[in-house]
Amino acid sequence: MSNAAPADVDTLQQLLQDQGYLADRGLATATYISMKLGRPLLLEGEVGVGKTELAKTLAALTSRRLIRLQCYEGIDTSQALYEWDYARQMLHIRALSAHQLTDDESVDSLFGEGFLVERPLLEAVRAGDDCVLLIDEIDRADDEFEAFLLELLSDFQVTIPEVGTIKAESRPIVILTSNRTRELHDALKRRCLYHWIDYPSAEREQEIVQTRLPEVSEVLAANAVAAVHRLRGLDLSKPPGVAETIDWVSAIQAIGAHDLDDQTAIVTLGSVVKDRDDLKSVERRIGEIVGAD
Amino acid sequence: MPTDQAPLRRLLDFCSVLRLEGVNVGLDNTMAFVSAAALFESGRLEDIYWSGRTTLAHRRAQIPIYDACFTRFFLGGNTDDETTRLPARFAGPESDAVVNVPSGEPREDGGDEQQTSLGLSASAAAVDQSKDFAECTEEEHAAIRRIVASLKVAPPVRRTRRHRKSPKGGALDMRQMARDTMRNHGEPLDLARRVRKERARRLVLILDVSGSMADYSRSLLQFAYSVRQGARNVEVFCFGTRLTRITAALRHRDSDEALRRAGEDVGDWAGGTQIGDSLDQFVRQYGRRGTARGAIVVICSDGLDRGDPAVLDLALERLSRLSHRIVWMNPMKGETDDEYVAASLGMSVALPHVDLVWSGHNLESLVEFADVLPEIK
Repeated sequence: MSNAAPADVDTLQQLLQDQGYLADRGLATATYISMKLGRPLLLEGEVGVGKTELAKTLAALTSRRLIRLQCYEGIDTSQALYEWDYARQMLHIRALSAHQLTDDESVDSLFGEGFLVERPLLEAVRAGDDCVLLIDEIDRADDEFEAFLLELLSDFQVTIPEVGTIKAESRPIVILTSNRTRELHDALKRRCLYHWIDYPSAEREQEIVQTRLPEVSEVLAANAVAAVHRLRGLDLSKPPGVAETIDWVSAIQAIGAHDLDDQTAIVTLGSVVKDRDDLKSVERRIGEIVGAD
Repeated sequence: MPTDQAPLRRLLDFCSVLRLEGVNVGLDNTMAFVSAAALFESGRLEDIYWSGRTTLAHRRAQIPIYDACFTRFFLGGNTDDETTRLPARFAGPESDAVVNVPSGEPREDGGDEQQTSLGLSASAAAVDQSKDFAECTEEEHAAIRRIVASLKVAPPVRRTRRHRKSPKGGALDMRQMARDTMRNHGEPLDLARRVRKERARRLVLILDVSGSMADYSRSLLQFAYSVRQGARNVEVFCFGTRLTRITAALRHRDSDEALRRAGEDVGDWAGGTQIGDSLDQFVRQYGRRGTARGAIVVICSDGLDRGDPAVLDLALERLSRLSHRIVWMNPMKGETDDEYVAASLGMSVALPHVDLVWSGHNLESLVEFADVLPEIK
C-alpha cells in the first residue's frame, strides 16, 4: 500500500475496514481531511472507543512506522523530543583532553548528531511522511507541555538550541488523543482538526466484535453487545468501552462458553466492569443485563 | 442565483453564524473549513457537515451548537429534505432537543448592575470581620467582596517529575555535570545535584448554592473567584439539585462580569439540595477523569441534604479515594474551636470521609482559611 492519501472518503473507510477497523462516516471524513490537508487530528471520546487504535490502523494501512508518544504528568523535552548522551559526551571530552584537542571544531563535535538521543517527536520530524505520529493522552501531560507542541503541530519543525531548527521534509500523519480529564488549550486545538468519537451503535459494535474476533458466533456477539449497551445505560462510574466488549467476548470464549447466560456473565464480568462498586450493582441485576431469552 | 463565488460566500456566512452563537471561529479555522470542503467535489451536504465539524468545533460542548446552526443554516430548520443524506445523529430527534442550547448572547440582568454600583460606593465602608455573612447588609457584602477579592490563596504543593538545581543532596544531575565538565576542559570538578520541583496541587471548590445557603453563597462565590484568579490549577463547581461547572465563567478578568456569567450558568439558585447526587455526579463526570486526583477538594455546604444519605456516603467515599484531602466548609459550624459535632444527618454521614471541617461563615474565617490551606499536607 502506498503512503499517499486515499482517493476519497469511501476508499479510506474501506481501507480501514480491511485492516479490521470499522470507522463511521464522520471519523473517516475527519481522518481523510486530516491526511489531505496535512493537519493534526485531535480525537476526544470516552475511554475505549478506539482513539489510539485508529493511529495504529492508519500506520498499518499506509505502511508507515508508528511513532508513539505516551504523555504523562511531568513529561518534558528530554523525554519527548531529544536528550544529549551525557555519558558519551564526557568520555569524548576526556579523550579530547588526553590528545590536547581543544580547538573549536572538536568541541563543536560534542553537539553533533552522534551525541543526540532521538525521542519520539524528533524521530517523527525526521521520518516525515514515513510515519504516523501518535501523541497519546495529551490531557495527562502538564498544560505547559502543550505550548511546547505548538511549533511542532503548526510547522512540523522542532528547535534544538545547540543544533538549530529541524524541519520535516514532508508531513507525517499526526493523531492526538485525549480522554478529557481536562480541557485542552485553544491554542493547541486551533492547530488541530477535532473529532469527538461516540460509542458505536449496537449493530456497528457487533460488526466490530465480529471483525476483531471472526471465530465468535453471531449469537454470542449480538448478546454480549446488547448486554454492554444495557451496562452503559446503568450509569456506572466506569462505563465499558468497545475495548471492554471485545475483551469480554474473548473471555467468554476462552472459558469455552458459546452463549451468554447469567452464570457465564458473572464469572467473566471482571473483563467488562472494572470497578468494585459497579461490580456489586451489576451482579445484583445480572438477569436484567444478560436479558431474558 | 449562484455564481462561482456563491458557495464560498455561503461557507463564510456559515462561519459568521457560528461566531454569533459564541463558537470561537478564527480565520485559520475558516480557511481550514474552506479547504476541507473543497476536497469534496460532489458538494454533498454530509461532507460539508463533517468538514465543518472537524475544523470549526473545538470541543464537545460546541457540537450541539454546531448541529443546531448547521440545521438552521443549510436546511432552514427543515430536516426532511430528501435530496440530502445526513448523519443519523444529526437528523434524528436529538437535534430538536439541542436547538435549545443557551446562546452566547448576554441576558439583561438588573440585579447585578445594582451590585456593581453598590460595590463602588461602599468601598470605604468599615467591615466587622467577625460578623456572620447572614447578618451583613448589602453595603457590608459589597465591602466584603472587595476584601475577599484581594485575598491571596495558594493551594499546598506536591512533588513533580521535574527537577531543579539544588547543591544539597538529591540525585546527580548528569546534564549539568556534562556542561560544567566541558567548561573545565574535561575535568569533572564538582558534583551537580538536583531535587524534584514542587507544584501546587489542584484545588477543587464545590459550592452549595441551594436555598439554605443563600446568605453565604454570594460571598463563597466571590471567594471562589479570588481563588480562581490567584492560583493556576483551580476548578469550581456549583450545585443545588444538580452540578454545574463554572470554572470557565469565572475566568473573566472582571469580577462582576465573571460572577454574572457564573450566575447565568447555574440554573438552580436558591432551590433544593441534593448533595449526595451532586457529589456523585461530580465524581462520575469529573472526579474519575482526573479532576479530583491528588487534588484538595473543598466542599462548601451546610450538609442539609434532601437526598438519600447512602448516596452521599458512597459519593464521598469514592471522592476520598480519588482526592488528596477533603475539606468541608460549613457556615453552620459557627465560632467554636471545639471538635465539630455534626448537626445534620448529611454532615454526620460526611464526617468520616472529611479531613478538615472549617466554618467560613464570616470574613475572618475565610482569611484564616487562606492561611491554613497551604499547610494542608
